Amino acid sequence: MASRVRTATPVVVPPLPPQARRTKLWQYLLVLAILGITAACLLTLGNVSWERILSGLERNLPPLWRGLTNPDAAIFSRAFAAMMETMYMAVIGTVIAGVLAVPVAFISAANLVGGNRFALPGRGLLAAIRVFPELLFAIIFVAAVGPGAVAGIMALGINSVGFLGKMFSDIIESIDPGPGEALRATGAGPIHTFSYAVVPQVLPEFASNVLYRFEINLRAASILGLVGAGGIGGLLIQRIQFRRWEEIAMILLVIIAFIVIVDVISSSIRRRLV
Amino acid sequence: MALPSAVPQLPLLPRLLSWSTWAVIAGLLIISLRETNFRIDDMWGSLVDFVLFFGNFWPPDWQRALPQIWRPLIETLQMAWLGTLFGVLLGTPWLFWSSRNTSPHPVLMWFSRTLMTVMRSIPDLLYAAVLVAILSFGPLPGVVAITIFTLSILAKLGSEYVEAIDPGPIEALKAAGASGTQVIVYGAVPQVAASLLSYIIYIFEVNVRASTVLGFVGAGGIGFLLNRYVALFQYQRIAVLLMVIFVVVIIIDSISAYIRARLT
Repeated sequence: MASRVRTATPVVVPPLPPQARRTKLWQYLLVLAILGITAACLLTLGNVSWERILSGLERNLPPLWRGLTNPDAAIFSRAFAAMMETMYMAVIGTVIAGVLAVPVAFISAANLVGGNRFALPGRGLLAAIRVFPELLFAIIFVAAVGPGAVAGIMALGINSVGFLGKMFSDIIESIDPGPGEALRATGAGPIHTFSYAVVPQVLPEFASNVLYRFEINLRAASILGLVGAGGIGGLLIQRIQFRRWEEIAMILLVIIAFIVIVDVISSSIRRRLV
Repeated sequence: MALPSAVPQLPLLPRLLSWSTWAVIAGLLIISLRETNFRIDDMWGSLVDFVLFFGNFWPPDWQRALPQIWRPLIETLQMAWLGTLFGVLLGTPWLFWSSRNTSPHPVLMWFSRTLMTVMRSIPDLLYAAVLVAILSFGPLPGVVAITIFTLSILAKLGSEYVEAIDPGPIEALKAAGASGTQVIVYGAVPQVAASLLSYIIYIFEVNVRASTVLGFVGAGGIGFLLNRYVALFQYQRIAVLLMVIFVVVIIIDSISAYIRARLT
């Protein structure tokens, strides 16, 4: 340590060119704007009563810690069954979305319908669906058809059409026109052109997106029970209301384990697909 | 359709694999349909009910709903903003710890990746539901839930950006004797700043959508009103709420798309 010699060399920093100085100014302004908005948010955020929060922490942290460190094994079988139902909902919802998204995607792909103008209605519909989170769909479905897995499945299905339809039509728009032209040049009709030039090009990417959506839907399905749309969320919210932390811990563990395992399997398949 | 015999066949193994894949999917679907008692007529029936249900939304009750909506709406945006910001601040170290080329130690990388995977597997609404039980009602559990979500998703996808950077500057800095932090700040950050910022803005969009429903479990924002309107069957006010959410989300998405297009 002592042998290390530090020599103070005078550092000459050349002045910034005017363009970089302008970028610097923008950066300062950006940081200032972010800080300003944040300060405004913090100052005006209402309803935060710190005494209530502190007393809540005081009351709930010790039982929470006790609960999370020894999860209740007795509720495992119920949690597991509920999680299986959650997965079934995600499977059906994803399949429904995958099937419904295909026709919508074809009428939203500019290169197939002959121009951006004609793709607009389909694209608009898909964008409108994507605005709302699946929970909103679930709330309306529960109100319309009553509580249960059907409402959850349909909410997942319809919401996912918005995402899969968009991904699918983007994929269709990016296909290579070469194989199609080659097939048409050899005299193939529209059905053959479609099934030998379009389908092979888009299928792996479609499949990859469906799998990805399934991962998302599994997460989404585990919350739909909060509004009565089936799955493990219903069990969880009930235990949360009674603050049964040992049981909550076990339910959360089941959710985490399921989702992590499904993610690992699904992403390894996706890596091989594309 | 009769295929001409000249059409080349796929080799046997991929064909078998694709058949077994379809079989697995079909099997999973059949089990799912049986276990949930879901029938195809359910699908059409509930879809029709869903569409018909929109009749209840008419006419939207602007006079009574709008004055109630605007404050929770601002709170929703505040939650999304603060949650995104805190998530980014807390998530940035994890992001570099999770990346192979910038992690100071393999054990730390493994720990950070595992922790982020576990945290990411819980949806933000579940965090909010649990946090409401601990921190009581209000926007704070919502902010914390969004923070956790942002932090874990930023670490995961951000580390993919970091791992894809050009190793040259990092090696040069290491060769010049820079410390670990200096390597990250001067070697990695300038290369990923633009794409990370674009990604953070995208996360903000996602968080705005998410924060509109967090209130449903008591975590503040406009979702709290949604819960009340649903409980009281005030569908004409829900219509206003949905339209307001629609407009706000579209505006935020447009702004963010504009900024992101200029960034890259």
